[in-house]
Amino acid sequence: MRAGLRGVPVYAGLVAAEVFALFPFWWMITTSLKHQVEIFSGLELLPTAPTLDNFFALFETYNFGPFLFNSVTVVVFSVLLSLLLGTPAAYALTKLPTEGWLQKQALIVVLLVRMLPAILLVIPFYIVLANFQLLNTRIGLILLYTGLNTGFVIWLMQSFLAEIPRDIEEAALVDGDTRLTALWRIVLPLAAPGLAATSIFSVINIYNDFLIALTMTSTPEAQTIPVGVSTLIGKIQIQWGPMAAAGVVGALPIVVFALLVQRHFVRGLTLGAVK
Amino acid sequence: MVRGRRASFAAGPYVLLLPAAVALAAVSIYPLAYGVVASVRHYRYGLDVAYAGITNYVQVLQDDTFITALETTAKYVALCVVIETLLGLGLAMLVNRQLRGASLWRIGIILPMTVAPVVVGVMWRLIYASDIGIADPVMGLFGIHDVHVLGSDTTAFLGVVLLDVWEWTPLMFLILLAGLQTLPQEPLEAAVIDGASAIRVFFDHVLPMLRPVLFVAIVLRTIDAIGTFDQIYVLTRGGPGVSTQLFSIYAYNTAFLFTQYGQAMAMVVILLAIVLVLAAIAIRLVRLGPGTR
Repeated sequence: MRAGLRGVPVYAGLVAAEVFALFPFWWMITTSLKHQVEIFSGLELLPTAPTLDNFFALFETYNFGPFLFNSVTVVVFSVLLSLLLGTPAAYALTKLPTEGWLQKQALIVVLLVRMLPAILLVIPFYIVLANFQLLNTRIGLILLYTGLNTGFVIWLMQSFLAEIPRDIEEAALVDGDTRLTALWRIVLPLAAPGLAATSIFSVINIYNDFLIALTMTSTPEAQTIPVGVSTLIGKIQIQWGPMAAAGVVGALPIVVFALLVQRHFVRGLTLGAVK
Repeated sequence: MVRGRRASFAAGPYVLLLPAAVALAAVSIYPLAYGVVASVRHYRYGLDVAYAGITNYVQVLQDDTFITALETTAKYVALCVVIETLLGLGLAMLVNRQLRGASLWRIGIILPMTVAPVVVGVMWRLIYASDIGIADPVMGLFGIHDVHVLGSDTTAFLGVVLLDVWEWTPLMFLILLAGLQTLPQEPLEAAVIDGASAIRVFFDHVLPMLRPVLFVAIVLRTIDAIGTFDQIYVLTRGGPGVSTQLFSIYAYNTAFLFTQYGQAMAMVVILLAIVLVLAAIAIRLVRLGPGTR
């Protein structure tokens, strides 16, 4: 009885937090399902006549087909390339007898890169890409994201790899494996959950990026979903329905991915500093 | 055969590190160096025309709008981080107990931080909009009329702060919850047995033990908040006037609207100095933090 009463303020606080956290989602999703007239007619919490017109409009008039294609292409290639570059480096930092000094310095540099606000980098990026004729190309975006995400992969993967007991790998070496085959045959399968989590975090980071894509691209040939979302704003008249639908398209895949890795969230966000 | 393996063994770490190091340098050291060089060049119509010495820096530091943007950023960061830390800590304390459906509560709370900042901007525009938004009618229920959130300086500023609090309190919550869950239970139980009140236990035992994690969370959030761009760009573009013009928005406009790359880079170098100091503190704290090797 006493415990039950003591629980009331706790649950009241939690319910308030949940309502605050979830209401904006509800409002955006329901707006995306309303007709233009209903959006302006007042404050229905539920659409009276749900419609998918806003979503069709995105793909028919607002170029979301190309935006989606660009986003998927850029995300897939940058994530694969940065995993390919970052995982062996993380392995080298954790498992091989490199000097401790180098290891520490390398991780500090990687951490510094992660902490640089994007605005510090975009102006030089823009000038450099312009010099190489890579502005407004998917390849330009892939190169930038690959480089930036490699640091993230190194930090997170070394935190996962460091948890694999050394003995297992030593045994493989005794059995005649080389370092590389041991990495491929023994270490990577054991690190598979960490690799999966790292990949998903990378997908989220890259798919969600706005500033770099905004500055480096200018047409639907290379613009990604977040940039596409922003193109619906700033016109003289804001198309609220399609804008809400665009928000849903931009959010949905990422929310699903995020739920898959929520167990590793803290590690991903603090780069292994807190687990 | 044996020699070959030994050779690859010795060179191994460097061979594995090299490609990643090159990629990282290409997107950090190179652009930063390039940027520092650009900050002492004079650009006209986006073209590098002459050496400018320190004139870009002088102009930037004499530019009232730049100073205002720095002040706005400082206010924004301070307000957001303080509110998010307090709310996040409170929420973490609420969730850190035996709860029915604990993981569901947690998922609901962390959902805001998973969404792209651009989408967050869209969500809050749909809420704040003076014609179709829900903020005005809701405030009307409480007798507050004719406040258009994005229409005046103070409310617009508070509006973007509220958005930031909505989006990033979950980050503080998650990190602090993880911190709370690793605290040893014995001292806390001993204090309770000694008759200490819940408040005393919190201030005398929980808070001191939580301090390293708290610092990590605050520094990470501070550095991220300094770079806030996407949500503001979508929500207000820095307006009305310059009331929500954070540093990043002003630097972006200077570079890509006014094509003053030299001045924009001077601004960026000044901010970089600030961020590096903060990052140095952060790195020290992260490495001293719990769970690191």
